[in-house]
Amino acid sequence: MSKAARPSLRLGQQDLKCRTGCGFYGTPQNDGLCSMCFRDVRCVQRKLKQKTDETGPGSSSTSQIAAGSLERRSPQHGHGHGHQVKKPEQDTPGTLQKKKFTAVLQKTLQAGAQKITQQRGHVPDPTEGQFLLQLRQLRIPDDGKRKLKLEIQRLDSEIWKYMNGNGGKNINELSDLVQNAYTKVSDIVHNDPSFEIATNEDRDSAIDFFEKVVMTQNHKFLFSPYFTTDEDSDVKVQKRIRQLSWITAKHLDCSIDEVNSEARDLVYNAISELVGIDSYYSPQEKLQCTWRCCRHIFELLKRATGGPASADDFLPALIFVVLKANPVRLHSNINFVTRFTNASRVMSGESGYYFTNLCSAIAFIEYLNGESLGISGEEFDALMSGQQPYSSPWESALLGCESLHLISENMKRMEMLQKKNALISSEITSFEKKLIDFQREVTERVDTVIAKAPLNLLPIKTPAFLIGQARAHLHNENEAGHYQANMLSGGTLTTQSLTDVVGSVKPAMASEDSGLSLKDTSMGSMGRLSPLHQNLQPAEHLFASPIFNYTAFDAVSLLEEPSSEGNTDVLMLGSEFQGGLTNINYDFDLSDQSGENSTADESKLNLDEFDPLAQTDSITQPPSVLDSTTDSLIDSEVPGTAVLLPSPLKPEVASYRGFSNFDIPSISCNTGDFSSLGQEGTEAPK
Amino acid sequence: MATTPRSGGASGTGAAQRPNGTSQNKSCQFKLVLLGESAVGKSSLVLRFVKGQFHEYQESTIGAAFLTQTICIEDTVVKFEIWDTAGQERYHSLAPMYYRGAQAAIVVYDIQNQDSFQRAKTWVKELHKQASPNIVIALAGNKADLSNIRVVEFDEAKQYAEENGLLFMETSAKTGMNVNDIFLAIAKKLPKNDGANNQGTSIRPNGNETNRPTNNCCK
Repeated sequence: MSKAARPSLRLGQQDLKCRTGCGFYGTPQNDGLCSMCFRDVRCVQRKLKQKTDETGPGSSSTSQIAAGSLERRSPQHGHGHGHQVKKPEQDTPGTLQKKKFTAVLQKTLQAGAQKITQQRGHVPDPTEGQFLLQLRQLRIPDDGKRKLKLEIQRLDSEIWKYMNGNGGKNINELSDLVQNAYTKVSDIVHNDPSFEIATNEDRDSAIDFFEKVVMTQNHKFLFSPYFTTDEDSDVKVQKRIRQLSWITAKHLDCSIDEVNSEARDLVYNAISELVGIDSYYSPQEKLQCTWRCCRHIFELLKRATGGPASADDFLPALIFVVLKANPVRLHSNINFVTRFTNASRVMSGESGYYFTNLCSAIAFIEYLNGESLGISGEEFDALMSGQQPYSSPWESALLGCESLHLISENMKRMEMLQKKNALISSEITSFEKKLIDFQREVTERVDTVIAKAPLNLLPIKTPAFLIGQARAHLHNENEAGHYQANMLSGGTLTTQSLTDVVGSVKPAMASEDSGLSLKDTSMGSMGRLSPLHQNLQPAEHLFASPIFNYTAFDAVSLLEEPSSEGNTDVLMLGSEFQGGLTNINYDFDLSDQSGENSTADESKLNLDEFDPLAQTDSITQPPSVLDSTTDSLIDSEVPGTAVLLPSPLKPEVASYRGFSNFDIPSISCNTGDFSSLGQEGTEAPK
Repeated sequence: MATTPRSGGASGTGAAQRPNGTSQNKSCQFKLVLLGESAVGKSSLVLRFVKGQFHEYQESTIGAAFLTQTICIEDTVVKFEIWDTAGQERYHSLAPMYYRGAQAAIVVYDIQNQDSFQRAKTWVKELHKQASPNIVIALAGNKADLSNIRVVEFDEAKQYAEENGLLFMETSAKTGMNVNDIFLAIAKKLPKNDGANNQGTSIRPNGNETNRPTNNCCK
């Protein structure tokens, strides 16, 4: 059949004109006739049909009819609908009509071959080719395919006949007609021997195919037919939804966040699917569209609630989506699906569930009142009539979308920058604080370390045998005479200067101390000599800061030697002590607590003798080392320069250090060893 | 009683319909509608039954409003198609759309909530009046794990259920108590010989009537 019909799909140039030859152009919709001729032809056709209905069905065999119809088909205008062919074993209610129909065909053929094709106001449809292709791809036996095709053609013609019939039309009748055909096809597919080897899925796909083909081809007849009120309902519900634009998610007890951009995107997806329902022909595709829409809603709710959404969340969300989508021809679409899809499809299955939900949503929208939205009746009426102004976040977001969006984005950015700024400034202040703390900590630590480990002047413990050596050494030096004298004088001088600096006088002890003074000096020198020969460490302890910091001291101390008397000497000593005093004072703090051998004791020694002079000097003279040295240089020319020469050489200076006067404070420390020293000291000088 | 609640639904039905008739199982598909006030745990109950879980949802579970589960009772594969309904009072009037054509219904109430029990009673009344006459109705007192703070007494509900010819169990979606049992009880009570035919579903008994046991129908 299809092969016979296919070449006719091409229309020649001559076919553009009306086939009656009236000169006007014909249209394919009118079977190649101009509108005037088409109307005339249809009138004739209707009359003929009535006539045949009266006369009854012809008795000719179906095969003959099929052959005849093929013969008589005009090649240019064949439409590939072999509805003339029937299954021999038909016994459904449609059979009678079918037979009548073939009889009509025969009659019309007798009347004129050209009019046959006008039986169907059907357009050659490119989708038909697709369906044929799909039919071939169905994994059912060829026998089954043939039967399926026959059924399709039969239902096709039945629908067409009903739509073009003269009797009063009822959409329910039409629906029943289609549903009966579905039942029959389902019966054939499941029970017919030609489908025996087909799998369950293939059977289902065959039934689906049947439905899809018939519904797509007859969409224009069955969708919102003129004898129903579908269109009115469409307009009504659309108007109603427009009136209800003030409804927010809150009214519906719905968890959609209207202002969240992510949620909005998902709502948009759902809306576009819902609106897309109208653009499909077959009920299955419309249901699939609904299914996708609902899946988007579930996705949305899953993100909003954190778990699989129940119907408690889903239905309000769907109502919200329907309200915001306001799809066109809502009722027509719903009714089309309800009437003409396989009943099981809307009664069961996931799509059926979603479709039921959609129907409930529409029902809810149509009948909702203030109570069902949780607001008072008066408020509802006011909102519906537009008297009460409202602001819906959804609409406002839609209207001011671009600019508001930009503003909010910029605001967000500004906020972010502000935050960053604040962070930076706070970091800066905290860093400053940290720096201050660090500084304090460092100073504190240094202080504690200093407090813990002060520069301690330990008493020099000279082994007894060394003292003897030292004495001997000194003796040798004494031979030179110069050193001996020098040492003695230096000793006295130092004690004097010390008394000046400390300034604390104990007259009671003075006599005793002065007696000891000479002895002390000698011992001090010995004590200082010993490190030079044997052990440098105590010497370092003693002299580290004053000597190495102020190398000039050495020079100064040496300078003093030649001129043992006079102002310069005293001055120098004063200055020297001023320099070394700070260090010595440390020692005093701790080592003096014993009170037995500090320099303080010794300082009291000879205070009477040189007190006035030394005191004034130490006060008036600035404690600068340089000044004192220059002074000393000026005052004592020859020895100053002579002694100055070796001073850069440290070891030699160190050796001389022993004789420098300012070391005297350490002499007192030796009092610990005093008894032994005293014994030896008494021996040695003599 | 052979109960395998988590057997693959699709394969079960497929096997039953193999035309060569090697399978002795027949399969039925039933539409079960869940009714009850919101927050009584309708969807938790179903999720426990279908996924065997409470709170820990699988990533694949997109929604709990429509779920299917297949169970085997003796030699029959019973596929439940569970339709959840919105429990809010404002959506009450839409319920008939859902239970139209349903072969079974579970009316759920919360044993801690007297109102939900009263709502359940109205649902039962409505079902008796408007649903298909041989619908199997079960009453489920959910949240039985919290029975120490119950408001609705077991005996009271039991008595009501007996008076109205309902199946009755107290369930707990949290612990799983009685969850499978209530579905099994429904499945046993449902007429399995014509369950599939009732709604013209594509799943039909396939000439296996000769192998059918005598006790196919409990009612």
